Amino acid sequence: MNGHDESRLDSVAVLAVGALPAAEARELEAHIAQCSICQTEYAELREAVDALALSAEASAAEFSAAQDERVKGRVMDVVRRDAARANPTGETNVLPLVTRAQRRNWWMPAIAAAAVVLAAVSTWNAATLRTETDSLDRQVALLQAEVNTQETAANESRATLALEQSQLADLLAPNAARFPISNGVVVRGDGRILFALRSLPPLPAGKTYQAWTLRRGAKAMTPSVTFQPDPSGLALIELPGSASGITTVAVSVEPAGGSKAPTSKPLFVRSLS
Amino acid sequence: MDDADRLMQRVRQRDAAAFEMIYDRYRRLVYGIAFKMLGEPSAAEDLTQAVFLKVWSAPQTFSGGNCAAWIARVTRNRALDVLRSRASHPEVSIAVDVPAEGALDDAVFARLDGLRVRTALESLPPEQRGPIELGFFGGLTHDEIARRSALPLGTVKTRIRAGLKRLRNSLEMSTV
Repeated sequence: MNGHDESRLDSVAVLAVGALPAAEARELEAHIAQCSICQTEYAELREAVDALALSAEASAAEFSAAQDERVKGRVMDVVRRDAARANPTGETNVLPLVTRAQRRNWWMPAIAAAAVVLAAVSTWNAATLRTETDSLDRQVALLQAEVNTQETAANESRATLALEQSQLADLLAPNAARFPISNGVVVRGDGRILFALRSLPPLPAGKTYQAWTLRRGAKAMTPSVTFQPDPSGLALIELPGSASGITTVAVSVEPAGGSKAPTSKPLFVRSLS
Repeated sequence: MDDADRLMQRVRQRDAAAFEMIYDRYRRLVYGIAFKMLGEPSAAEDLTQAVFLKVWSAPQTFSGGNCAAWIARVTRNRALDVLRSRASHPEVSIAVDVPAEGALDDAVFARLDGLRVRTALESLPPEQRGPIELGFFGGLTHDEIARRSALPLGTVKTRIRAGLKRLRNSLEMSTV
């Protein structure tokens, strides 16, 4: 058993409030696991921190009914659709990922419909001079319904993408540190680094995607794995070796077989510190 | 098993009505934390959406105990992701998977409404409240808090501990 050290108690409080850098946190957590005095202190201070979160609870005025309706609408649309197609045996909680075709295509009908709406509005403007009021009212109602439909579609897609990103990270390593990138997420946990990338375009023959790592103190990137996305544009990659000391990761397109140094502008460069 | 536990069990069985009750119960907590950390209504709305979709997609990560505290931790975790993506931000410890043992139970939380906690927090001396809020809501490390406050690191750590202890005592007295 590690000996108790009174000077650590202040650090225990910093850990409880979530302000201890990760490396120090891991070291202190290892100590807490062995030290009953620090365990008790941590448990007590976590109670205060848990309560602290309540101080931020928004009032009805701060989170307006309009905001609530908007957010709840987006969330419940996804939830109800998913619940409707869920496995009735309830054996899995992991949702199926939406297909690339679904992701790619949602905005196309939205744009087409927007063009239709704009054209129709122009026509309607000209028609106001010569058509009956009740007819115009019907057109306006139809146009408004069309716009509402497109807004709903856009909101659903936004919600679905948020859900997808969340799922990708959870599939890889629940509760690990997440580093969002434009088309996915980098996850570091349990000494591993994983990528979940989506919407990767297929590469021409003779080309490959390649991962790169930069270790603390190093002056140049080190080549890591090469990979190809699946037909839907998704790539779930675990970097080989320990994540220890890796401060930055990147991905670039390289000649088949990989390169010793990047030969093209990286798709992304993500700092992990 | 309390009411929140039962609801989350139903959510695991893909019960949308139970999920809606979870949403209605915790929406202001989630939005409030998100807004306090991100400072923008639209970003806070997006984060609120992401948090509840996370609750729906991975309810198994709630292992029982204090549901409000769990959702608050998920929210803070996600908000830190956003803060990090906005600017280079040092990784800090995130106690999302802290065991439920020892945490306040929901019954105590039910008596601890936001106003009461805010009152207790505001009763702290500013030199204790400031570092706690910068660490918890600002996502700053103790080093960053020390630099921003122009204080020695040891002083910051001591004040955080003293402030948390005082806050805990104050809340205990207010729920008796």
